Amino acid sequence: MRTKLLAIAMAAALGGASLEALAQAKPDVLVKQRQAAMTLQGKYLGPIGAMLKGAAPYNADTVALNATFLENLARMPWDGFNPSTQGEKSKTKPEVYKEMDKFKLAYERLETETAKLGAVARAKDEAGVRAAFGGVAKACGACHDDFREK
Amino acid sequence: MQSGEYGVRVWDLPVRLFHWLLVLLFAFMFFTGKSGSDWMEWHMRAGYAVLALVLFRILWGLAGSTHARFSNFLAGPSTCLDFAKKLLKRAPAPYAGHNPLGGWMVLALLLALLFQASTGLFANDDLLSEGPLASLISKTMSDRLSTLHSWNFNLLLLMAGVHLLAVLYHAGFMKENLIGAMFTGVKHLPADAAAGSTPARFASPWLALVLLLVAALAVYLIVKRPF
Repeated sequence: MRTKLLAIAMAAALGGASLEALAQAKPDVLVKQRQAAMTLQGKYLGPIGAMLKGAAPYNADTVALNATFLENLARMPWDGFNPSTQGEKSKTKPEVYKEMDKFKLAYERLETETAKLGAVARAKDEAGVRAAFGGVAKACGACHDDFREK
Repeated sequence: MQSGEYGVRVWDLPVRLFHWLLVLLFAFMFFTGKSGSDWMEWHMRAGYAVLALVLFRILWGLAGSTHARFSNFLAGPSTCLDFAKKLLKRAPAPYAGHNPLGGWMVLALLLALLFQASTGLFANDDLLSEGPLASLISKTMSDRLSTLHSWNFNLLLLMAGVHLLAVLYHAGFMKENLIGAMFTGVKHLPADAAAGSTPARFASPWLALVLLLVAALAVYLIVKRPF
C-alpha cells in the first residue's frame, strides 16, 4: 500500500515536473520556434505566388502540397507569443500583448484563409487557388501591418 | 504682379516637369507602399521611375540650365545664415533661382530620394515581393535595408512637409508666389533683384531628353541586369 502510494506520488511529481517544464519553455526558444514556423510559411507561400504570377509553370500537385503545409503551419506560431517573450529581441510590436483579442482575430483569419486555400488546392481548382491565395496574402499583410515592427 | 516687378523666366521645362512628376509619383509611392501586396508590383515600377527622375535631375544639376545647376544654388554658410536672418525678420530676400536654404533642401531631398530608391531595390516585404536586387544579398541584409527603407520614408515625409511649409511661408509672409513660378517657370522679382540676378542661360530641352534617356537606361540595366 505504502509503495503504491509512493509510486503514485512520484508519478504525480514527475508528471507535474514535465508539464511544468513544458509550460516554462524558455522565452528565447519560444521566439525561435514561432519564427521558424513563419519562416516555413514563407517557404511554402513563395512558390505558389511565383506560379500565380507566371514566374514559374503552374503545378497543381506542388500547390496542393504547399497549401496543405501552409494550412498546418498557420496554426503553429501563436502560442509562442507568450508574455514571457516580451523582453526578447524580435519584430513583435507590444500591441500583440496589449490587444490579445485583436491579435487572435488576426491569426484566426490566417487559419481560416489557409484552410480555404488548402481545400481548393487539394481539389486542383486553379481558379479557386487564385482567389483564395489573395485572401491568405492579405491576412499575412494585415497582421504584419498591425503587429510587426517595420 | 505688383508694379515695379519684372517677370523673369527662371525654371526651364525639364525642371518643372521633373518637379510635378515627382510630386505625383511621391503620392503614388506613399499609397502603394502602404497598400500591401496587391499594389507592390506597381510600387516597384513607379520606384524605377522615381530613380530615373532623380538620376536625371542630378545630371541636369551638372549640365542643365543656369538655375537648375548645383553650382548656382548651393551657397556657403554665411550666405545661408544671412538669408535665414532675413527670413525670420520677414525682410524681403528675393532670389531668381533657389534661395540659399532652398538650394540645400533640393540637394537633401534628392539624396534622400536616391537613398529611398536604392534601399527599395534590395528590400523585401516578408511576404511575396522583393526588390530586383534583393536576391544578390542575404535575407538579413535585405531585412535591414527594408527597415531603413521605411524609416527613410518617414524622413522624406517630414522633409516634404517642411518644403511645403516653407513655400507657404514665402507666400504668406514674403509675398513670393513660388508655387505659381514652378508651374509657369516665371518669377516676379523687384527691379533690383531682377537686374542683379545672373542672366540665365537655358540648356536645350533635347539635351534634357538625352540625359533622361541615359538615366532611364541606367535604371533598366540596374533592374534587369542583362549582363
